[in-house]
Amino acid sequence: MHLSLRLLSNRHPSFIARTVFVQNNDIDNACRLINRIMGKEGLLAQYRLTRYYEKPFQTRRRVNHEKCKAIYNEDMERKIQFVLRKNRHEPFPGCY
Amino acid sequence: MITALRNSVRASVTSVVRLFQTSTPQATEKFVHKRIPAPDEGVQGEKIIDLDSALKTKQNLFPTLESDYQLYNGIPYKDLPICNIRVSHNNTIFTLTEPDGKVRIIRSCGMEGFKNTKKGTNIAAQTTGITIATKAVVQGYNTVRVRVQGLGPGRLSAVKGLQMGGLNIVSITDNTHVSWNPPRARKARRL
Repeated sequence: MHLSLRLLSNRHPSFIARTVFVQNNDIDNACRLINRIMGKEGLLAQYRLTRYYEKPFQTRRRVNHEKCKAIYNEDMERKIQFVLRKNRHEPFPGCY
Repeated sequence: MITALRNSVRASVTSVVRLFQTSTPQATEKFVHKRIPAPDEGVQGEKIIDLDSALKTKQNLFPTLESDYQLYNGIPYKDLPICNIRVSHNNTIFTLTEPDGKVRIIRSCGMEGFKNTKKGTNIAAQTTGITIATKAVVQGYNTVRVRVQGLGPGRLSAVKGLQMGGLNIVSITDNTHVSWNPPRARKARRL
């Protein structure tokens, strides 16, 4: 009991990190904003990962998949940006 | 002449055929492979909201050095009562405390009358939020700051229930315990 309390203790000062003020009583937006920020930072994914133990072979599998996905996404982004490059005097060629 | 006719018919047929030709066939089924992890559903708002426009508005969204002393209903922010919401997959527990942490009101979905799996729903969280908000208003608390812990069905609806019950929510903090070197968790469930 004492050990778990120590592990779960709130050592950091409260209401500074991961805090969003509510504007115009719009709590839906505030909730979505904080979820979006936390999702982008990877906190929610980490929480879901550590809920159950992930065996080392599962970790390796996931990490390799993420690496492949990152490579693919990067290459796809480069291709899209290349294809979107244009310098036309007529913006819609062939259209009336 | 007949060959010319035949050629013209053939040409028109092929052009008609080309009109009805569809684009390259797309895979309709989702690709499922045991070695590739399934995408998780996520939390409401995890991917949607337009972050850049929200941040560009010149409002005070995040705490600053001075925001601790900002007055809300005559009370500085650091002296506002706190509503802790502990969200789990099976239940939602609300706790209204003084700013120093002393607990005043505790409500949970079980206390509302929900049993077993029904406690772990967003409706239960909302109902419990309304109840605790009405109790708090009766006891004299109108403006609170909210601290949410955990991921679960009641995460958004709990805060919504608090507002519906009449409490004025000033800020939402997320205090979910996230660790990058936690003690070894229990083994994964095999369903």
